[in-house]
Amino acid sequence: MNAPVLDARSLTKTFGPTRALAGVDLTVLPGESVAIMGASGSGKTTLLHVLAGITAPDSGQVLFTPPGGGTIEVTGLRETARSRLRRESFGFVFQQGLLIPELTAIENVALALMINGVSRREAVQHAAGWLSSLGLAGFEDRRIGELSGGQAQRVAIARAQVTGAQVVFADEPTGALDSQTSSEVMDALLWSTTGQGRTLVVVTHDTDVAARCTRTVAVRDGRILSAGVSEVSA
Amino acid sequence: MNRHVLAVLLRPARGQAGVVALPIVAFGVVTALVLTILGGAQTFWTWTDDVAPVYWILVSIALALLIVPLLGLGGAAARLSARRRDERLSTLRLLGVTPSGVTIATVVESVLVAALGAVAGLLVSLAIAPLVGLIPFRGQALGAAAIILPAWQIVAVIGAVLLLAAVSAVIGLRRVVISPLGVRMRTQAAPAHWIRAVVVVLVVAAAFGAVNLFPQLGGLVGLLLLGGVFGVALAVLNLIGPWVLKVSARVQLRRAERPERLLAARIVLDAPKAAWRQVSGIAMASFMAVFAGTGVTLMSDLGDAGGPPEQAQLVADMRTGLVITLVASFLMVAASVGVNQAAGILDQRELNRSLHHLGMPMETVDSARRRAIMSPLLVTALGAAVCAGILICPLLGIAMILAPLSLVTIAAVLAAGILLVWTVTRLTRPLLAREFAA
Repeated sequence: MNAPVLDARSLTKTFGPTRALAGVDLTVLPGESVAIMGASGSGKTTLLHVLAGITAPDSGQVLFTPPGGGTIEVTGLRETARSRLRRESFGFVFQQGLLIPELTAIENVALALMINGVSRREAVQHAAGWLSSLGLAGFEDRRIGELSGGQAQRVAIARAQVTGAQVVFADEPTGALDSQTSSEVMDALLWSTTGQGRTLVVVTHDTDVAARCTRTVAVRDGRILSAGVSEVSA
Repeated sequence: MNRHVLAVLLRPARGQAGVVALPIVAFGVVTALVLTILGGAQTFWTWTDDVAPVYWILVSIALALLIVPLLGLGGAAARLSARRRDERLSTLRLLGVTPSGVTIATVVESVLVAALGAVAGLLVSLAIAPLVGLIPFRGQALGAAAIILPAWQIVAVIGAVLLLAAVSAVIGLRRVVISPLGVRMRTQAAPAHWIRAVVVVLVVAAAFGAVNLFPQLGGLVGLLLLGGVFGVALAVLNLIGPWVLKVSARVQLRRAERPERLLAARIVLDAPKAAWRQVSGIAMASFMAVFAGTGVTLMSDLGDAGGPPEQAQLVADMRTGLVITLVASFLMVAASVGVNQAAGILDQRELNRSLHHLGMPMETVDSARRRAIMSPLLVTALGAAVCAGILICPLLGIAMILAPLSLVTIAAVLAAGILLVWTVTRLTRPLLAREFAA
């Protein structure tokens, strides 16, 4: 039986008078793609940030179990250790891509490896491989502003995956795209994560995006209304 | 443009106080410095004795020297003000708002912001007048009352600052008006062509010839010629600066093995003109330091040889004037760098936050942005010093033989300027830390 890659227990988080998370329990299995859905202000992005170790909860804990075993309590780590965990074990895709505009496509991807101490030559080789796999061969030296929205999102996916991240967190990754491009980006995102035996947690408003995931978690007022049924065997 | 749309555009967004305050502070610094410098300079024009014309010429040269860094700071303030709206205005252009509508909105906003800053600058200049008035010339303190400009001149200075804001806003908007997508998507790379280098070599050669004529001409004509050569040299530095930085950044990009080096090189390559604008004031100061260091050394040596007391006084005053000019240059450059750095951090707020999410250490981003300033700074400071050294090599050679202290003076001035800018880049680190972790 697979241990959960992420195990969240009794998470609470408030921002001033607003209760963003009100006792959330959630387990995510390796190889799953989990869509977190809910209205604006429901707490879904806060949940994603707490799961990923970006935001510390007021109470509760998040446990991360890498493939080699040895559970890490994400919520018990200091900020520097959480940053290290994020850059080594997690990947992120944001709505706007948020790539570094001064860098080329391949440099944006390679930078994720260089930060982890990989040599530039090796980082560029890996980055080129991922860009090619995602249909961006020939676009390596383009500046981000010279790419379409869909191409930029695929660069962001390559950046999220080039480090071998076990879990990719995506926050509205298709929110700024038309339906055709959105579908293509989801193809790339799913292929690069669950297609490689990795895990995807995606926050979305889009029911089409959620429908392509193995499980949908519905969130309202900081609570989980339904956690769905995993199609991945536990 | 519909006045309702204009009103919406001019209204600052909630939580964006820093975004509005920055250009106000920048214009305030510009106005305070201009009023103080002109106030000090006007004292010299009231003198009418035999030595007065020499002071007039020297103060004119000092003012000419300060024009470039002052324009740099003024431009930074104005561009900062205009850039606040770049993205929204580009979007408006894409939505069909006319170029004139975009221009009106930006100019009105820039002038309003500049006006607030100018008033603040006026108050600051009045507040520091008693301190500045303590500086001695011709054996006595200038006095606070003497360095405050008449009302009509203050109004003229404020008018000029507002005009600068309006003109810079229009110039800064040309790219939005011509190509809204260019600014919106940051696809246009700033050009910096090698042809500039050829022009520079020709001008430096011509200036070198002119300087060598100087000893034969002598007197007032010689001083004017020297001032002219100085002005041309500064213009040349401005011409070649972006190109030199581009070449230097390309070399650094090829060698970059660390993330911060890669980022820093790309930041400079993305906009070599902007990188130059940030450090050009130090290049001017560096250029001037070589001139000043050599000049002061030679003059002191002449003074020591024994001469009339008026000459000794003149030499002492020239030394004071040079120090004031250098200090003013450094202050303007430091203010420019501070404004640009803070603006850059605020502009990239969302990107910095996303990098934090990715787990990128803040030190990497901080190191990259500071390297993107300090590397061009070192290149330009040393390059400008070499340029000045070539232009006055006969005098520099004499100074080196008579008093090697001149070299120490030059090095100390350069080091002080570089240290000041480095300190300012460190001062903006807490702002980055705040935005990074937000």
